[in-house]
Amino acid sequence: MEPLHPVARELAAPRGGLMSYPPVERWEDWEEYDPVAWPRKVKRRYSLIPTICFNCEAACGLLAYVDRATLEIQKFEGNPAHPGSRGRNCAKGPATLNQVTDPERIRYPMRRVGPRGGGQWERITWDQALDDLGGRIRKALVEGRQREVMYHLGRPGHELVYLQRVFHAWGIDGHNSHTNVCSSSARAGYAFWHGMDRPSPDHANARFILLLSSHLETGHYFNPHAQRIMEAKSRGAKVAVVDTRLSNTASMADWWLAPWPGSESAVLLAMAHTIVREKLYDREFVRRWVNWDEYLREERPELPVVFESFERAIDELYARFTPQFAEAESGVAAATIVEVAREIGRAGSALATHVWRNTAAGNLGGWQVARALELIVVLMGAVGVPGGTAPNAWNKAVPAPPMMPPPGKIWSELLMPREYPLAFFEMSFLLPHFLKEGRGKLAMYFTRVYNPVWTNPDGMSWIEMLTDEAKVERHACLTPIWSETAWFADLVLPMGHASERHDLMSQETHAARWIGFRQPVLRVALEKAGKTFDLTWQAHEAVGLGQVWEEDEFWIELSWRIDPDGALGIRKYFESPYRPGEKLRIEEMYRWIFENSVPGLPAAAAEEQLTPLQYMRKYGAFLIEDQVYRTHEQPLAARDLDGATVDPVTKVVDKGGQAVGVEIDGRCHLGFPTPSRKLEFFSKTLKAWKWPDQAVPNYIRSHVHWSNLDRAKGEMVLLPTFRLPTLIHTRSGNSKWLYELSHTNPLWLHPEDAARVGVVTGDLLKVATRIGHFVDKVWVTEAVRPGVVACSHHLGRWRLKEDAGGERWSTALVDLVQPEPGQWRMRQVHGPRPFASEDPDSSRIWWEEAGVHQNLTFPVQPDPVSGQHCWHQKVTVSRPGPDDRYGDVFVDTGKSFEVYREWLALARPAPGPDNLRRPLWLPRAFKPDVSAYRMEP
Amino acid sequence: MRYGFVIDQRRCIGCHACTVACKEENRVPLGAFRTWVKYIERGTFPNTRRFFSVLRCNHCDAAPCVTICPTVALYRRDDGIVDFDGERCIGCKSCMQACPYDALYIDPDTGTAAKCNYCAHRVEVGLEPACVIVCPEQAIIAGDLDDPASRIAAIVAREAVQVRKAEQGTRPKVFYLGADASALVPELQAPAEGYLWAERPRDEVDLVALVAAAQAGRGPGDGTLSRPVYDAPHLVRPWGWKVAAYLWTKSIAAGALLVGAFAGSRAWGDLFGIGAPALSLFFLAVTTALLIADLKRPGRFAFIVLKPNWRSWLVWGAWILMAFGGLGAVWLVAGATGRWAVLHGVLVPAVLLALATAGYSACLFGQAEGRAFWQSPLVLPQLTIAAVVAGAAALSVMAAAWPLPGTDGCRDVILSPRCLDVNPDTTLWPVLFLGLIAHAVLLGLEMFNRHPAHDASLAARLIWRGGYRRRFWGGVVLAGVVLPVALLIAGAASDSTPLSVLGALLALAGLWVWEDLWVRAGQSVPLS
Repeated sequence: MEPLHPVARELAAPRGGLMSYPPVERWEDWEEYDPVAWPRKVKRRYSLIPTICFNCEAACGLLAYVDRATLEIQKFEGNPAHPGSRGRNCAKGPATLNQVTDPERIRYPMRRVGPRGGGQWERITWDQALDDLGGRIRKALVEGRQREVMYHLGRPGHELVYLQRVFHAWGIDGHNSHTNVCSSSARAGYAFWHGMDRPSPDHANARFILLLSSHLETGHYFNPHAQRIMEAKSRGAKVAVVDTRLSNTASMADWWLAPWPGSESAVLLAMAHTIVREKLYDREFVRRWVNWDEYLREERPELPVVFESFERAIDELYARFTPQFAEAESGVAAATIVEVAREIGRAGSALATHVWRNTAAGNLGGWQVARALELIVVLMGAVGVPGGTAPNAWNKAVPAPPMMPPPGKIWSELLMPREYPLAFFEMSFLLPHFLKEGRGKLAMYFTRVYNPVWTNPDGMSWIEMLTDEAKVERHACLTPIWSETAWFADLVLPMGHASERHDLMSQETHAARWIGFRQPVLRVALEKAGKTFDLTWQAHEAVGLGQVWEEDEFWIELSWRIDPDGALGIRKYFESPYRPGEKLRIEEMYRWIFENSVPGLPAAAAEEQLTPLQYMRKYGAFLIEDQVYRTHEQPLAARDLDGATVDPVTKVVDKGGQAVGVEIDGRCHLGFPTPSRKLEFFSKTLKAWKWPDQAVPNYIRSHVHWSNLDRAKGEMVLLPTFRLPTLIHTRSGNSKWLYELSHTNPLWLHPEDAARVGVVTGDLLKVATRIGHFVDKVWVTEAVRPGVVACSHHLGRWRLKEDAGGERWSTALVDLVQPEPGQWRMRQVHGPRPFASEDPDSSRIWWEEAGVHQNLTFPVQPDPVSGQHCWHQKVTVSRPGPDDRYGDVFVDTGKSFEVYREWLALARPAPGPDNLRRPLWLPRAFKPDVSAYRMEP
Repeated sequence: MRYGFVIDQRRCIGCHACTVACKEENRVPLGAFRTWVKYIERGTFPNTRRFFSVLRCNHCDAAPCVTICPTVALYRRDDGIVDFDGERCIGCKSCMQACPYDALYIDPDTGTAAKCNYCAHRVEVGLEPACVIVCPEQAIIAGDLDDPASRIAAIVAREAVQVRKAEQGTRPKVFYLGADASALVPELQAPAEGYLWAERPRDEVDLVALVAAAQAGRGPGDGTLSRPVYDAPHLVRPWGWKVAAYLWTKSIAAGALLVGAFAGSRAWGDLFGIGAPALSLFFLAVTTALLIADLKRPGRFAFIVLKPNWRSWLVWGAWILMAFGGLGAVWLVAGATGRWAVLHGVLVPAVLLALATAGYSACLFGQAEGRAFWQSPLVLPQLTIAAVVAGAAALSVMAAAWPLPGTDGCRDVILSPRCLDVNPDTTLWPVLFLGLIAHAVLLGLEMFNRHPAHDASLAARLIWRGGYRRRFWGGVVLAGVVLPVALLIAGAASDSTPLSVLGALLALAGLWVWEDLWVRAGQSVPLS
C-alpha cells in the first residue's frame, strides 16, 4: 500500500520519453511549472532567449528563461543550438543567475568623491560619465598624446574585432590585455611553429590525448573540450596528463605524469627522442610540411639538403634527451615516458594535445614547452587532421564589421617596450614599473573586467601606481562587480553580465567554425513585446536592474563625444550603415555583420523566413563550417597565383611582397602564416632576434629548477597557477553557489615536506618570496610532488570596507597599512559572514574563510622571449611566528622593483633586423601600421 | 513505469555543474544540497587518484522516508519518483533519520523537508531533470527503468552497476557505473577535518573527530582507507535534546501508570488515585510539548492526525499518546471522585496503553532506517524497563513528599522494604531495585553484545569507549545504576528514606543521560 498523494494520482507519463530541451518552435512561449510551488501545478510562461556565457573564455551557449509576466530571468540553461557547448554547461553557466540577481551588484555609474582609493562615491548619470571621459580623450588625441589613452582588459567580452575597430578609429595604440599573466609563453611557442598562437585539438576524434592542462576542470575551453575529451575516452582513446599536482583531469587520465615544475620540455623532448629513434613519426608529413631544409641550410651547412640528412640531424640534436635524462630532470620514470611515447606512436596522427597556461605560464622558458609539445604533434603528422591538433585560427570565425578603420601609425612603448620585441603581447604587468621608471604617464586609463591589483603579481605596486594621480590621471573601471581595482578608480561604470550585453563570439572549441551571439535578453524580451529602447541601460532600468550597460554601445556613444562633429575622422566609423550620418544603433551593427560577413547565415535564415539578425536572436549561434581539416593543404587559387613568384630556394609563393603560400612537390598550397609558410621547426626569426640557441624546440632550465633550491633550508617551489572547476578568476565573487562550493586555497604540501617542516593539515605556514610573505593553512596531500607547495590562485579576495568595495559572499575584510613607504601589510579582520540583504541566502553564509591572496607577494618575472610573467616562485616555507595570522600578507615594493630590474636585464632588446621593433610577420594584437614598426633613429 | 538515474562515474569529471544547476532550478538555499559531488583520494604520490561520486536521493522503491513520514508529505509517485509536498510537512525530521543516504534537508525558508524530486515539475512537461541536461559529460542518465527500449534500462541490463547500501533493502533506483567502492561506502573513508578548497563546518568536524577517536586503533589497514577531500555540508544530528527529553518524559508518564497499576492499591490513597495519574498526565503534557517544539513547523502538529500516513509510527504514536492521555484523565477523575470501580476498570487498558506509550518509540526509531544503532531488538525491552524504572522512581519521589493517610505511621511505606510486611502491594522498593538491575543488564547487552551492523557497533563504541564514555560510565552506569542500587540497599538497611529518595533521583537522572547519549550516538555515524 503506497500512501497516495493527491498529485500522484493525476500523472500523465510523457510519450516517447523525456526531452532535454523545450522544442525550439515553442521557445517564444514556453510553459513550465513553478518548481517552488510544486507539487501544486502553478504554471509559468517563459520566453527562451539564447545568449552566451560570460564566465570564462569558452563562450558556451546559455538559454535564458525570461518570465513573461514578471520579466525576471528564472534560470539559465544550456543552448542546444550552440555548436561548441551543445546545450551543456559547467557549474559557472547556471551560476550566472547569481550574478544577475546579486544584491551587492553595481547598478549605477559612480564617481569618486575624495581621494582615490578613499572609498567615497557619488552616483552620476551616464551622460556625466561619457562627457568626462570623452572630453579627456578628445583633449589627449587633439594634443597628440595618443599614447596616453590606454584600455586594459581582462575578459574582452567582444572577443573579435570590435575593439580594434574602436581604437584604430581613435588612432591610438592603447589596447592592453591580461595575456602576459596568462598565456604568452604558450602563444609564443605555438606562433613560432605555425604563426597562429593557439592550439585547437580535435579531441573528439583523437586516439591519444596529451594534456599539459586541466581541461576536464578549467581552461580554454573547459566545457567544450571536456565533453570531447571524455567522448574520445569513452571510445577508447588514451589520455595522459602532465601536471605537477593531481588535477581532476589527471585523476581521470590513464597516465598522470607529475614532473618537477619546469622540466616538462625535457620530458616532451625525451618522448620526441623515442619517437625519432624508434621511427614512429610520420615521415611524409614531416618531409612536406616542416622547414627542415631551412634548418639544414642555416644550422648544418655541412650536410646535403635532403630529408635523410634532416632525419639524421634531428636524431643527433635530441640524442641527449634520453628518457633517463628526462627522469633525472623531472622525476618522471623513464619507463613511463617511453610507454607514453610509444602509445603516441600507436595513435599516429590522431594525437590531440594542449598547453595554454600550466607549466608554460609558470616557468622561465615556458614557451619552449609549447615548442616541444608541438614538435611531437608535428612529428606525428597530427596537424589539422581528424583527431589531431590544428592551429586555432582555422577553427574560428571572425566576421568583418562594417568599415574597418586603418591601423594607427603609432607604437606605444608602455605596451610593447623595446626590451621585449618578441613578446605575446603587451607587457601589461610591468606597467607600474614602467611608470615608476618615468617611461610615461596615462591621461586616461580604462580597466575592463580586469583586476590587476588582485590578479597581477606585485599588486601593491599597482596600488601605488593607481593612487598616484600624476601617473594615472583618470581611471575608469568598466565592470559588472566591485573589485580590488575598481576601488582605486575615479569612475566605476557598471557593465552587464552574460545576459546583459551584445557580443559576437567564436572560439576554436573543435574542428569547426561557429559564431555565438551574446545578447541582452531582457531588452530583447521587452522589444519583442513592442517596447523599444535606444540604449541597453534604459531597458535594464525599465525592468529594475538599474542602469547596467554594455560596452558595445558605450564605445559608440563615447566615440561620438570624442568627435561630435566628425572633424577628427572618428565619428564616421560609428555611423549607421543603413542611415547615413546617423548614430549607429547596436542592432544595426550586428544586422550588417550577419547580413554581410557570415557565410551561409543569410540562406539559413531565409529558409526559416527570418532575417539573419532574427535568426541569431532566436538561436544565438550559427555553425559556419563543420569538419574543418587540413586547411594548410588548400591549393592556392589561380587568382592568388596570378602575378605571384615562387622563391627558387625556399619555395615560398610571394605576391606583391606578401608570402601567400608555398610550393611543395610542385604544387602550391596555402601553408601556414610563417615566413617559410611551413611549420617552423627552426625559427629563423628567433635566430635573427638574438636567440640562436633557442631557434629549435629546446629545454630551458626553469628559474625554479631543483638545482636552485636548498630544501634543507626550507626552500621550495610554489606552484600558484592552478584553477578550480567552480570559479572564474575575479568575477565569480558574486556567485553564492560557486563560493559555497569553494572558498579556501590551502597550501598543498606533500606529507614528506609536512613532516620536515613539522605541520599537519590545518596548521599555518608562512611562505616567503623575494619581496614579502603570506600566511596560509596547510593541506597535507599525496596529490603533489615532494618539494613543491601548490596553492590555487582562485581565492583570497578582499575588501577594505565592511559594507563596500567587495562582494561579501567572497571577500575578507582586511586592514591594509603602510608601516614605511613601500612597505605594505595586510591583515584579515574577518572572513565572509552572514549579512542582511534582499536575498535571504545572504544571512545563511556558513563559510568563514575567503582564502589567502598570494599574488601580492610575487615579484614580476618576465620571460625574456615571450614576455610571460613566470608565475612559479622560489619560496622559503617556515612555521609562522607568534604574530603571524591566517591571511597575513607583507610586501616591500622597493624589493619588487629590484627584482623587476634583474629580470629586465635578461631581455635582448630591439631593434632586430631592418631596425624593427618586432618581426612584421609575428602576430600582435591590434597591429599598428607597418611604419610604426620602425624604430625612430 | 519507474524513473531512475544511472550515474556514469567513468565519465563524471567532478565539475559540480549538476550541483549548481539543481540549486538554480529548484532554488535550493545555501547550506543545503539536493545533489552534490563527493571527492575521495587514495594512494601515495605518484600513484594516487581522486574519485568522484554524485550523491543524491535514490528514489527508492521501498523508500524509508515515505514510510516514516507522518503526513504523506513524502510519497512515491506511480512513475517511481519519490516526491515531496512541503505544504504537508510538519518538519519532524524523521525522514532525515529514515533515509540511509543523507538525501534530505530542512529548507530554512519553509521549515519543511526537501530533497531531489527528480525535477518532477519538469518531468510533467516532458523534460529531463536539470542535472541531466547540464552535465558536460552526459554522465547522468535519466529514464524509465521499466521500458526495455530506454537507454537507462539497457545500461542497467548490460553493465556492471552498483547501488549505495543495497543491504538496507530500500531498492534504490540510482545506479552507479564504474564508481569507486570507497566513494560510495562511508565506512571505507578516513575522517576529514577539512577539504581541499572548502571548509568543513565546525560541528561536522567535531562530530567526525569524535567518531574517529572511537575508531582509533582499530588495527591494521587504517592507512588504506580512502581520504574524503571534498563534500557538501550536512546537518549534524537532526534530532537534539528535545527528542531525548521526550523519551525521558514519556517513560515517566508511561511508567507512572504502569507501576501505579501494578504496585499501587487503595492503600496508596491519593497517591494511587490522584498522584500517579496526575504525574503521568503532567509528563505526558511535557512530552507532547517537546514533540511539538521539536517540529520545524509546530503550527502544523495537528497534521499528524488530520493528514495521517498510517504506516508511520509517528502517527500511531500520536494516537497512542492521545488514548493514553484520555485513559489517564479517566483514572484521575475516578480517583479524585472516589469512583474505585471505574478506576479498577481502566487498570488493564491503562497497563496496555502504558506499555504501548513506552514502547512504540522502538517501532518509530526502527523506522529510522538510516540509523543502524536504533535498529537493535533491545530497544523495546529497554524502553519498557526504562518506563518501569522511571515510573517507580518518579512515584517514589512523589510519595516521599506526599502525606499518606492510613498507613499506621509507616509514612515512608512506599520506599521501605520494612513495610512489605505491612502490605506487599504498597512498596515500590522492589520494583525500582529490580528495574534498575534489568536496566543494567540491557545496557550491558546493548553496549557489549555483537552488533549486526558496523554503524551500530561504532555508535555503541562511541558511548562506552569513545567521546561519550565519561557521561556513560559516570552518568549512566555509576550515577544512574550503581549508586541508586547502593543507595536503595543502604536506605533499606538503615531505614533511611532520604537515601532511597536520593537513589530514585539519581536513577531518573541516569536515565536522562542515557536517552541523550542513545539519541546522539545513533546519529553520529556519517551516512554518506
